[in-house]
Amino acid sequence: MKILVIGGGISGISAAKVALKFGHEVTIVEREDRPGGLMARIANCRVGFKTFFDEIKDEPRIRFFTGCNVVSSKKKDGAFIVELTNGKVIEAQKIIIATGLSLYEPEIKGKRIVSSLEYDTLIDQKNDIVPTDLEKIAFILCFGSRGRDYPLCSSVCCSYTLRQIKWTLMRKKPEITVFYNDLRFFGQEFFLEHLFRNSGVRFVRSNSRNIEEDSDSVRIRYFSEGKVKEERFNYVILTNALRPNPELIRLSKIFGFSLNEYGFVKENTPLCTDVKDIYACGGSLEPMNIKDSILTGFAAGYLASEDENQEKHKSKVYIIENQTLNLEKDSGSVFVFYLGTDDPYSKMFYEYFSSVFCRLATELKEKGKTVYIITKNLIIPAYGEIEYEEARRKGVVFIHLEENERLRINGKIVSIEGGRDLEVEADRVVTMEEMVDNLKDLEILCFFRSEPQLRWSPTKWNNERFHVGFARYPREKRWELREYYAALAEIVIESQSKNFPQVMEDRCSGCGSCKNSCLSGAIQLLSREVMLSVFGPYLKTKQPVAQINTSLCLGCGLCASTCPSQAIEFDTMKTSTDRLPVQENLL
Amino acid sequence: MQMIDTEKVFEYSGYKKEDFSVCLGCKICASVCTLNDIGENVNPQEILISIFLGKVLNTHPLVRLCTSCYRCTDSCPWSIRIPEVIRALKEISQKEESFGKAFRSSIKIFGRIYEPYVILKLSSVLLRKGYIKFFPKWIEYFSLHLPHFVRRD
Repeated sequence: MKILVIGGGISGISAAKVALKFGHEVTIVEREDRPGGLMARIANCRVGFKTFFDEIKDEPRIRFFTGCNVVSSKKKDGAFIVELTNGKVIEAQKIIIATGLSLYEPEIKGKRIVSSLEYDTLIDQKNDIVPTDLEKIAFILCFGSRGRDYPLCSSVCCSYTLRQIKWTLMRKKPEITVFYNDLRFFGQEFFLEHLFRNSGVRFVRSNSRNIEEDSDSVRIRYFSEGKVKEERFNYVILTNALRPNPELIRLSKIFGFSLNEYGFVKENTPLCTDVKDIYACGGSLEPMNIKDSILTGFAAGYLASEDENQEKHKSKVYIIENQTLNLEKDSGSVFVFYLGTDDPYSKMFYEYFSSVFCRLATELKEKGKTVYIITKNLIIPAYGEIEYEEARRKGVVFIHLEENERLRINGKIVSIEGGRDLEVEADRVVTMEEMVDNLKDLEILCFFRSEPQLRWSPTKWNNERFHVGFARYPREKRWELREYYAALAEIVIESQSKNFPQVMEDRCSGCGSCKNSCLSGAIQLLSREVMLSVFGPYLKTKQPVAQINTSLCLGCGLCASTCPSQAIEFDTMKTSTDRLPVQENLL
Repeated sequence: MQMIDTEKVFEYSGYKKEDFSVCLGCKICASVCTLNDIGENVNPQEILISIFLGKVLNTHPLVRLCTSCYRCTDSCPWSIRIPEVIRALKEISQKEESFGKAFRSSIKIFGRIYEPYVILKLSSVLLRKGYIKFFPKWIEYFSLHLPHFVRRD
């Protein structure tokens, strides 16, 4: 079968990767001169994309067209006949749309007011010198999103800002301030946030549009802790909001699939457009981060490839379905929901409980009750923002706590400590921590959403187990099936590449350093009998030796690189001795 | 602090409640407010929140000082018209007068005082209080021709 992938970004490449594993012929059409899309524009992700792309670059069944675009399409005998701008005509049975997102450039920009991708080039590690006056900088979030003209949340700006703080601190130690509305972090990022807070990064729950640029500084006026404050910064970084790609409108006219009101592809069933044999993935569905783009890319590639052994692979997928949370309907009339916790582990549930609380609050409000939601942090990325807007419109009262404010719950009276005096008498107070306690028995891998696992596998835990749904990360229901197909795709990818490190037993000294380095605990130390002779007769002694359990092994190669006596052999290291693996910054 | 029916505030502002309840709480309005240029410490969002909570802050400096410059609306991501709420608060805190009401609603609809509209709106009050009469003055002289017991005075 022939498959056409429109868009050579990370999700398009990962869709192509799955389709190639199934033995299909893949054509990738990319508008720009080089593949990579938005991911390759981030300096620290460029290497990551390259390693990902290099895996499929030299396959014989792949064709790559850069600098061209789709002109027209005809359907003939169940196949699309697509014409490109460079005059080539491609026949394809299935089409995967992976056009990605487009950047929103803020209107107010100057020499010192830069957008986040421009700032990325400033602190790029390729530059020998960072600007000398990088002493006090500010990040302003939610620029060009979560407004009336574009209501969706970009869902990656907060995380990306966190990475940029890290990359900045690696080069220089400026004073950093972050102006935010909600800090929408996922998984492990909460620990990173905790770390940065302790190291002096200031987070201010306030936003500002009063920004003026001078020759040597930028003045920002903002309102925080009951006072108007003015500060000068050397650089101000405005985040780039992510908007739907305008190219989608043209493509929807050519292929005939429909878009939703925000300009993204309308999903009929997960990842399928309403035209048969056309699939969508990555940023053409909603604003999402790199890992989710890979995930949806895998899933779309899998759906387009039509797996025959789906039943066989199903057994490896480990699903915990989304929990339905029903509040016992009390007779009271005033409800208070509190979304906030100090425990970094409980913070993982922010995303799930934000949407659950919003939904419950809207239901209660429709019954004529008075509902307050007091939030420390409200995380409902992408389409969740629509739910949030609806709840606000219905009349649910949202009270946002500032950094210095805390909630005190005293029986039925809820009051806010800190700047403002506010007291609510509630019949029922629902706190997030109380709800998290109900989920204690479930097995949940909290770190899985945000951090790229080794070898770019979004759902893999080990070779026998692929986590999907609530187990992977508690989030919105629409992701459950996407993750499920991605897991099936990954099983197919993994089943064909059996590449595990091997221990050369005669060299192994049994020091155990590989055991300590292994992330998934796949290495055991066994004892074996050795004959020893030291100035005399042979003696039988026992010596430890490392053994690798292949069902648990991720194939990351960390053991091979840490082994002091080079007793572990790993195939990928062997074949690419000329290009040593780049010490890439994790995260 | 004075307790006023909060639904009334939205009614007076001329917009629906949900036009104001979409507030995200980002405090952009406070950062651009004109009053903060001249040394006040005001946050227009406080007024919205207090109304949603069922209280009306009449003593808030914004109610007194707001210049209705609409800078907050201009930079608000949801274009919330906070000056309209403040105007409604100002109106409610004053004693209600039917004359003022008619003049104000005339300005709201036509942008100026359109007298036919004002008189139509006020007709019942004017008639009741005797400012205008049903019949012209000369009709009263007709009564001179009527018998004495029918005449009023």
